[in-house]
Amino acid sequence: MADALFPQASGAGGRPFPRHEAREKVTGRASFAADMRLAGTAYAFLLTSRIGRGAIAAFDRAEAAALPGVIDILTFEELADEVRPVPFVFEGGYVADTLRPMATADVAHWGQPIALVLAEREEIAREAAGLITVAYRDVKPPAADIDADAAETLPLESLEESVGDFAAAFADAPVRIEARYTTPPQHHNAMELLATQCRWDGDRLTVYEPSQYVNNVKHGLAQQLGIDPARIRVVSPYVGGGFGGKGFLTQRTALIAIAARRLGRPVKLVATREQGFTLSTYRAETRHDVRLAASRNGRLLAHAQEGWELTSRADVLAFGGSEMTTRLYACPNIHRRVNVVRADRSTPGFMRAPAEMPYPFALESALDELAHALNMDPVELRRVNDTEVEPFGGRPYTSRSLMPCFDAASDAFGWRDRTPEPGSMRDGDWLVGWGCAAAFYPTYAADAAARVRLSADGRVHVASATHELGQGNYTMMAQVAAERLGVPIEAVTVSLGDTDLPPAPVTGGSVGAASLAPAVMAACDAILRRLGSDGAPASDALAALAASGQGAVEEYAETRPHGVTPETIGALSRGAAFPAGGVHLPDRVQFAFGAHFVEVRVHSRTREIRVPRAVGAFAAGRIINPRMVHSQLVGGMIWGLASALHDATEIDGRNGSYMNANLADYLVPVNADIGEVEAILVPEEDRRVNAAGVKGVGELGTVGAAAAVANAVHHATGTRLRSLPLRLEHLLADGG
Amino acid sequence: MNDGTGSREPTSPGRRRFLISTALSGAAPMMGRIGPAEAAETGAPPAVTPGAMPTMAISLTVNGRTHRLDLDPRKTLLDGLREEIGLTGVKKGCDHGQCGACTVLIDGRRELSCLTLAAAAEGREVVTVEGLAAADGTLHPMQQAFIDHDALQCGYCTPGQILSAIGCVQEGHAETADDIREYMSGNICRCAAYPNIVAAVADARARMEG
Repeated sequence: MADALFPQASGAGGRPFPRHEAREKVTGRASFAADMRLAGTAYAFLLTSRIGRGAIAAFDRAEAAALPGVIDILTFEELADEVRPVPFVFEGGYVADTLRPMATADVAHWGQPIALVLAEREEIAREAAGLITVAYRDVKPPAADIDADAAETLPLESLEESVGDFAAAFADAPVRIEARYTTPPQHHNAMELLATQCRWDGDRLTVYEPSQYVNNVKHGLAQQLGIDPARIRVVSPYVGGGFGGKGFLTQRTALIAIAARRLGRPVKLVATREQGFTLSTYRAETRHDVRLAASRNGRLLAHAQEGWELTSRADVLAFGGSEMTTRLYACPNIHRRVNVVRADRSTPGFMRAPAEMPYPFALESALDELAHALNMDPVELRRVNDTEVEPFGGRPYTSRSLMPCFDAASDAFGWRDRTPEPGSMRDGDWLVGWGCAAAFYPTYAADAAARVRLSADGRVHVASATHELGQGNYTMMAQVAAERLGVPIEAVTVSLGDTDLPPAPVTGGSVGAASLAPAVMAACDAILRRLGSDGAPASDALAALAASGQGAVEEYAETRPHGVTPETIGALSRGAAFPAGGVHLPDRVQFAFGAHFVEVRVHSRTREIRVPRAVGAFAAGRIINPRMVHSQLVGGMIWGLASALHDATEIDGRNGSYMNANLADYLVPVNADIGEVEAILVPEEDRRVNAAGVKGVGELGTVGAAAAVANAVHHATGTRLRSLPLRLEHLLADGG
Repeated sequence: MNDGTGSREPTSPGRRRFLISTALSGAAPMMGRIGPAEAAETGAPPAVTPGAMPTMAISLTVNGRTHRLDLDPRKTLLDGLREEIGLTGVKKGCDHGQCGACTVLIDGRRELSCLTLAAAAEGREVVTVEGLAAADGTLHPMQQAFIDHDALQCGYCTPGQILSAIGCVQEGHAETADDIREYMSGNICRCAAYPNIVAAVADARARMEG
């Protein structure tokens, strides 16, 4: 039954085995970070700043300290320089935000940790935090968002690129589109809260924390504490949703490690949902000016995209996604520019499709505007401009299934029945609109290591310090080993999420399968070579092991993907391995592709926007497990619909606070928001992209979906919305 | 969102009996309820000694087992289950009754354990995800359906989804896909496994009623 539910892309890959750790997850036995029970734990509660910019004049903590059960209260007055500075993760360091926790009296943004209360019980720690009075000084109005007057715009010249003569081509072209698009700040809001537990055993520290990169936490924390990384172990076997928000070291970890050392007992922090909005990163708001020009038959003549991305005062972070959007379609004259806008906020970071949600929203919306101006079917506009080489340097795509995806999804959706005129497909009180957009995501991979053990009793154990966020790494690794060594998947156990295991890269950028599958395959192949059974059928491995008289054979393997330079040797073991790929290869570009088709219904009177159905088709090389991939793609598509209609953090411009920092006011989709969502797997074979022929899918489904919704809203109403999220008030404001 | 009250007939006894017998099989001898007198005695206001942490004696019946605990009177059922009893299958996603991750069954009805004081659960039957499978390890039909339909990804909201789904079926709110979407909307899944959750609940309803 399960196989029928998860159709396989014919000939493209493996079997749809059920999720390997599903039984643990449905019985409550899967232990997330906050579930680890450590004897003698003290509970921590954070106090965070309630101004947007200024400094702390004084704490009055007498009442809090006197509360029975309070053990200690830590502030900058106690810690000062105890947390050592560590460089930004994107500048050769480890931390997600270089603002040091509780180092000085300065307040750089709302929601910054300023005190840590330690108590015998969580309730008491929380009560005591509420009893601390904070006096602030030098309070100034912050530059709260990308549009604030006091925000500082910084052009990034290193990200500016041109080919041909954009200005001349744009000026001369017969059909032109010029528009500004914006996307809002968004927060990951994984269901699991940001928890950290630390325990010292002598001079050795164990950290239990949900992480997408345990070795980043280990090595960054070692630098912050000034200790040998060999003394730190980070454990994270299950992550309750990551989406980028648990990618790199945040301020809380060092605080809890220091508290546990001072107390001589384990300390547990479970940050509140609201605190999570500023304790970890987020997707910053962006702005895009897109200019497209085409001939009357739809050929792109000129293409420019200038982006602005918000960042903090402390760190310059830019994703610069126009490096991808300007390489997606054939065009002789291209120009792109990227700016960051520095404001008084915490440092943003990765969030599912970090560059690839906002930048393609702009491009794929603009293409729809162009198609409308040309009176051309938007699918055909993509077909006319399809290309096998990227237009800057002429490097070939390793494989490119954009149009097969458009065709598969278009057929399944019934696109041929669309009437192009906006407002022409009314159904009673509902204005019906159909829209489409391209999906694409760069295929990255990083160095990775795995250890595999084959035992004479037929059991296999696979180990790597990669991470399970729900994407299916337990399943993927077990399945690859089972296939390679000729054992049933039930015979395979997998350990991950632990720095004691062979090192693996960040689980971000959709690199998991493309990085880990080759490493597991290589370790299995080393076993087969040891047994002299390489080249023989996989099922011969156990027989060869029996013949050898050994009880077990174990091999370790490290793999390095194409494009990762020799200078990075050692980075993997330092927790500093970064993926390579996408457009950053000298000889080629590598992407997974897809296409979205959505139906929206806009109520003729209330302007309520609903999405009753969405169809996506995706090609991502070899599909190891179509069930896991299908779930990832559907989840990604719903993330895209959420970006279209829901996800947005509201900022109070007076103080830079987040006004909807909870799950009632920050809108994420609930079950009733989601109608039919279909993800089709389009067969694709790509022998060049990596040894496993795998392209990541964790983010692919999200890319472009918001544009498809906006395009469908235009088709339904004739109103073009260029700012996410698309809300009914925007349609009312336009007079509908 | 609909809070699930009022629009349908109350839970049928047959469905409720099915749940309790499934959930508590193997634990029947320990199912005795705390009587009103005992509840009143243990539920007395906490004695606050100057310089001491406030504490009250509470007796909780969870998955058919009775636990006698000395708790902070402010302890939520969620924190009591997790931190004191060690039933960490129940999850904290917001602590505000906004996400559903902490859903448990109390006297057969789905409730949010983060909005329930531990003291308020005294004398009532609490069922967590750890109490659903049979003693021989056979999964509850809802657990099995979640595996079969891949109705989970990261797994963090899953215990709450499963318990809420059992409540949803017992309330008679799982007859159609639209009903399931509406009455499961108190349980957020950020991985967005919603289509598979709807399929799992519909499948399990058939198995539970069959």
